[in-house]
Amino acid sequence: MTTHTLRSKRRRSALRTAAFMSPWLIGFSVFFAYPMVSTVYFSFMKYDGFGAPSFNGLTNWTYVFSDYPMFWPSLANTLWLVLVMVTCRVVFGLGIGMLITKIKTGTGLFRTFFYLPYLAPPVAATLAFVFLLNPGTGPVNSILGDLGLPTPGWFNDATWSKPALTMLAVWGIGDLMVIFMAALLDVPKEQYEAAELDGTSPWQRFRFVTLPNISPIVLFAVVTGVIQAMQYYTQPLVAGKVASGVIGGSGQQFEPGYPDKSTLTLPQLVYNLGFQRFDYGSACVVALVLFALAMAFTALLMRGRNNLIQAGD
Amino acid sequence: MRRSRTMTTAAVAVAAISVLATACTGQAESGANDDPKARTTINFWHGWSAPSEVKAVQDTIDRFEKTHPNITVNVGGNINDDKLNQALRAGGSNGPDVVSSFTTSNVGKFCSSGAFADLAPFIEKSGLDLEKTFPKVLLDYTQFEGDRCALPLLADAYGLYYNKDAFEKAGITAPPKTMSELASVAKKLTITKGDSYEQLGFMPTFHGYETVADHYLSSWDHTYFDADGKSNIAKDPAFAEMFTYQKKLVEDLGGYAKLEKYRGTFGDEWGSKHPFHTGQVAMQLDGEWRLGMATDAKVPFEIGVAPMPVADDEADSYGKGFLSGTIMGIAPSSKKQNAAWELVKFMTSDTQAVVDFANGIRNVPSTFEALKSPGLKFDPRFKTFLDIAQHPKSNTPDGAVNGATYQQTIQDFGFQYEKGAVTDLKAGLEKTAAQIDTDIAKAK
Amino acid sequence: MTQLLDPPRPPAASPEAPSPALRAARRKAVLHWIAVHSLGVAAALFFVLPFVFVVLTSLMSDQQALTRDLIPRTWEWDNYRRVFDTPGFLTWWRNTLLYAGVGTVLTVVSSVPVAYALAKFRFRGRRLSLMLVISMMMLPPQVIIIPMYLFWAKQLDLSGTLWPLIIPMAFGDAFSIFLLRQFLLTIPDEYLDAAKVDGCGEFRTLIRVVLPMAKPGIAAIALFQFFAAWNDYFGPQIYASENPGAWTLSYGLESFKGAHHTDWNLTMAATVLVMAPVIAVFFFAQKAFVEGVTLTGVKG
Repeated sequence: MTTHTLRSKRRRSALRTAAFMSPWLIGFSVFFAYPMVSTVYFSFMKYDGFGAPSFNGLTNWTYVFSDYPMFWPSLANTLWLVLVMVTCRVVFGLGIGMLITKIKTGTGLFRTFFYLPYLAPPVAATLAFVFLLNPGTGPVNSILGDLGLPTPGWFNDATWSKPALTMLAVWGIGDLMVIFMAALLDVPKEQYEAAELDGTSPWQRFRFVTLPNISPIVLFAVVTGVIQAMQYYTQPLVAGKVASGVIGGSGQQFEPGYPDKSTLTLPQLVYNLGFQRFDYGSACVVALVLFALAMAFTALLMRGRNNLIQAGD
Repeated sequence: MRRSRTMTTAAVAVAAISVLATACTGQAESGANDDPKARTTINFWHGWSAPSEVKAVQDTIDRFEKTHPNITVNVGGNINDDKLNQALRAGGSNGPDVVSSFTTSNVGKFCSSGAFADLAPFIEKSGLDLEKTFPKVLLDYTQFEGDRCALPLLADAYGLYYNKDAFEKAGITAPPKTMSELASVAKKLTITKGDSYEQLGFMPTFHGYETVADHYLSSWDHTYFDADGKSNIAKDPAFAEMFTYQKKLVEDLGGYAKLEKYRGTFGDEWGSKHPFHTGQVAMQLDGEWRLGMATDAKVPFEIGVAPMPVADDEADSYGKGFLSGTIMGIAPSSKKQNAAWELVKFMTSDTQAVVDFANGIRNVPSTFEALKSPGLKFDPRFKTFLDIAQHPKSNTPDGAVNGATYQQTIQDFGFQYEKGAVTDLKAGLEKTAAQIDTDIAKAK
Repeated sequence: MTQLLDPPRPPAASPEAPSPALRAARRKAVLHWIAVHSLGVAAALFFVLPFVFVVLTSLMSDQQALTRDLIPRTWEWDNYRRVFDTPGFLTWWRNTLLYAGVGTVLTVVSSVPVAYALAKFRFRGRRLSLMLVISMMMLPPQVIIIPMYLFWAKQLDLSGTLWPLIIPMAFGDAFSIFLLRQFLLTIPDEYLDAAKVDGCGEFRTLIRVVLPMAKPGIAAIALFQFFAAWNDYFGPQIYASENPGAWTLSYGLESFKGAHHTDWNLTMAATVLVMAPVIAVFFFAQKAFVEGVTLTGVKG
């Protein structure tokens, strides 16, 4: 084979790769690279959608970090969601996953029941929960009241709105359940048998057999959970709007983070600054903070000890 | 080495694309050179959504199309200011030509940002004498620092609605005239049931539909901004008095938590199950439109209307109230501005049109001629609102470059204060004032 | 993977020889069975009761929906007809089907070749490309919304339509590419080599050999994409909110309570109508769906 044909073959193969990759190459440039560069550009600009953007240095950055009253509360909310909601989802997801592997009768039916809420469209599920947890007339408080238990204000009370969102998130736990179930069924049976012969307790078997085997999946669930918590948008927004009674019709504007900024998250700030206040520059600053956080955790996923998502060959 | 070269090429390409894309975000200038007599179609956006209101808008449009057969109007309803602002910025071909908004405090933003086109050339061309056509308050809130970018389209006057049957049962003969009377009447009318209410005298919380901070404030003589344009809320004692009064009323009527839980049982503000209609609350601070809505809902009691009570030491100003109104303007990106102006002129200044629309939508007419018109078909109780609208001390919040943002900041503080999350009123107001100043400086 | 749907039953306790030790063991097994299944029933109630309450409320009168009652006094089946009579409700359906349907087809067509190249071609920058795909997958849509909105609205005059949401799907969806790539890795290279020996080019290999084998993976990404579009709230909120004629179900549903002044009973009936198709599709495509979810958690 002459070098000439070798080279042409290589060129052909490069062309072929480019052809197969082309949809994504265009998508990447137009819907990722360009807007990312542009977001950085706008974060240093004063721009309200009229006229031309004008440079205003670090004004947007200092405004967001020191003067924008919603920034720190929404970061605090995100931290709360990461600590409580993600933990609850992983613990319950694992619990339900283990339960389903133990259930012997009607397994299919149980599995369907546990899985279905995950499929409920977020807006529909949120509306349903706002109704169920309506402090005055909702079925949940009716039942709690009949049992003589306290009846919290749920989505209408700043201390209970995030726990209510956590309940909504735990309700839709089907995805984690399936992932954990698959991981649990992959744990070699012999290890359990050996442990049982050694006279270990169920807790010890969980601690020393199950957990080490499924730890990569637990870590995966935690990290993706954290990323989801940072992106949390539809549920808290819809819950706040519907619970406040102002959805944005009849000329009214809704109150971000109702009640009392307790359901604000970073993505909602991008909406508030960009599409309610039309301060595109400051909106881009929040967007970049969100980007930095999301990428930091994505890097964890790719570079973690277990290389959770194998990006390599 | 090779990799870094590819990366550099990619980075340069991306940078080039972004420069190309960001360089052309400027607005295309589109003047008013269309022919208003030519056959054309314009888009009109409004915020009304109740079926009877939507019908009244359509009736007015039908009348317009009859007198202007060359212009067809596409109506888009239920649009709030967020969507309006967004569409005006997009300036797209599907966007509106004629726009309207309920939020008068957003006029500052509409005018100063150029979201609404300057109406001065059109007004001049058609020889409309503003001073002789519209009452002064209405002219004030439709301009900002001399820029006239809107005209008033009917007005809203706020007063106190009360359930006469409940008053009679409680042995109350007249509506309250001062804020302390309001508090004592509200307490008398409140009947508790278990941990909730059989009937609540007055829903005082800031989420109680129209009982928002600026509506309460109209009962006190107050100024939002000082001469330098700085927030005045920490310096003007009216603000502290209002927050103190509201907080005490919340406590006296059962406390924040109990009231909020009760609020959860309320129907929608614009629906037939409004708590005032259902008898859940016996008094309601509300706009003139409630009269028509309550009549439509066939409430089983007699409705009384009165001006909102005023601060105890300002009793001589009784009769005033909060004023607001719908404003109407033209999208700057519209290619059919002359045709758009025809609609604006018709709806805001044609006496017959204003009267018919006011009758249909049951708002206060916004021109001198229409206010005097014998064609007004109103419930006798409606006169209360016509009087409030013309009271010299009736007021409306100032405009600001960032629109209603400062109102939301004050409202946010109210939420904190009413539920006890902030206890130091003075420090809280100072902080809120500082926030308002920062936000306005940022938007300038 | 199929075992997920039918976990193997452990061998049942042998019926003969009931020695005391065995009897004790069997009693323990029965108690264990009861404990596990009571826990299962309790958990099932938590997952199912919200649906039950929603359906019950959707059948109440508007008066009763605002009371503490749990069971309808009169069964108002008419509520569902009234939901369909709501202005716009059928338009939302049509738009949602357009967005989800066209979007899904475009996503599959554009993502398959990319996933195939990433899984089976060796080329410089492959690792980098994959890392970028993962980054795009993890990117919150709000990060780039300002320039994207200005691009679609100002440059292309497409605000008030769903095109800004549909068109990008013709250029590959990161999540679908990643998921499909994971799936394609499991196809042994020998099949591809055999096809090439038979004289197939890469394109024909993809169509003739890879596609039939990748059907479960493709079904999974199609389903995910369909549901993502069905459930999308942020996209329509940004691009379609100003034009009710372009609203989708997820966006319209929220406005249902506010804008049309309806009560909880009708809102819950609408909620049921938005949930129902998703759940129906799930029952038809349960296997593909569960496999897809598992794929997201499996190491490549």
